[in-house]
Amino acid sequence: MEKIELIKKVNEVLAEEFEKEVEELSPEKNIKQTLELDSLSLVDMVALIENEFGVKIPSADLVKVQTFEQLYDYLAERVK
Amino acid sequence: MIYEQDIYKLIPQRPPIVMIDGFDGISPTEAHTTLTVKPDNIFCQDGKLQEPGIIEHIAQSAAALSGYADFLQNEPPKIGYIGEIKKCSINDLPNVGRQLSTHLQIVAEAMGIKLLQAEVTVAGKQVADCAMKIFLRQE
Repeated sequence: MEKIELIKKVNEVLAEEFEKEVEELSPEKNIKQTLELDSLSLVDMVALIENEFGVKIPSADLVKVQTFEQLYDYLAERVK
Repeated sequence: MIYEQDIYKLIPQRPPIVMIDGFDGISPTEAHTTLTVKPDNIFCQDGKLQEPGIIEHIAQSAAALSGYADFLQNEPPKIGYIGEIKKCSINDLPNVGRQLSTHLQIVAEAMGIKLLQAEVTVAGKQVADCAMKIFLRQE
């Protein structure tokens, strides 16, 4: 999957799941703040990513993925 | 399959609030549990297991799955808490004497919180399913 295509799909699935407009999601923004995720809903994002992209994000990696840009890069390295 | 009092090695609950009587660990993230509804079950009313009893059964099934990993390492089971219940449907209230058969699978985990999917059947017919988030108290 091309990265630009990946970014588009990531934004679409996250916006739909967490009831945001796609335009609200931009690379430099903090994921948790933008999607209003708390400790309970964070696991929903992890499940969604695994379900949609087949990528499991361990907690040790999750703490390093703070912005959407970091999430795009993380997935781009792992999505087949 | 682990039965009856050996279940106490997997969960911190004790009678009269033990809500599983059989546990089969399929993998570290998947298990099958059972509960035969007895007349003295504290969640029964008018001969039927009530909704809170079904939810508690699912929660204890999840706790047992987590406790199974502790058991294998000779550690006591940790106390777990229900964080959230989503997409829950309860279609029937099992009668006293019926056996609940529950399949549950952890579908995701993040920062100590586990998201699991559970389906409860009685005699092959689905009586409940839900997504549940639990977290375990770390000692």
